[in-house]
Amino acid sequence: MTVQLLFFGATADITGEREIDFSIKKNSRASQTFSEIVERFPGLAQHKLLFSINQEYAEGHETLHDGDELAIFTAVSGG
Amino acid sequence: MDFCELTYEPIDINDVARRIVLPECGATVTLDGYVRQFTNQRETLHLFYEAYEPMALKEMKKLTEQAHKHFEISNIGIAHRLGKLKIGDTSVVISVAAPHRKAAFEGCEWLIRELKRTVPIWKKEVYAEGEVWVEGEQTTNSE
Repeated sequence: MTVQLLFFGATADITGEREIDFSIKKNSRASQTFSEIVERFPGLAQHKLLFSINQEYAEGHETLHDGDELAIFTAVSGG
Repeated sequence: MDFCELTYEPIDINDVARRIVLPECGATVTLDGYVRQFTNQRETLHLFYEAYEPMALKEMKKLTEQAHKHFEISNIGIAHRLGKLKIGDTSVVISVAAPHRKAAFEGCEWLIRELKRTVPIWKKEVYAEGEVWVEGEQTTNSE
């Protein structure tokens, strides 16, 4: 299965990526996938991270599907 | 009708404030948030704002829906600017129109607090010695 992974701000700088395809096992749990992403990009581990699935904040228990849009980012700082 | 916008252009504060006025309203409270020169005794040269745009718009819309549940307000306008901003440039405008000013004040305060907590927008501070992405208080959206 492939999910689309988006990075913004600090996470884009850390990973050097804005958007990549990421292969995961079928029926992966979100928390497992997020751990795999941090393993792939260890620089992320130094920051508090937030995750979203299809533009909704993720809690981690979600089951992922082929083509899901995931994003990983640091704590927001708008306003 | 509420509106939420992201823009790379300078924000017309008066336009945001006047677009939301309805006959039932008696007051509009507008927050004009702009770039400050000094933060933690460090001088900012400029800021750069980036957003996860579709999700930011969704989260802003959720905030407006929640604000209507919490406060007796009629109409909300939110505009957030992205890209490079200089000292004094407006980064965010939140206007809340209501029949009575108390609800407008409370709604506006609530909205800016929640926007800063939940909307996926990030600010990079550029100063003389370098630059840093500001990391807010980590939390996810919740009522």
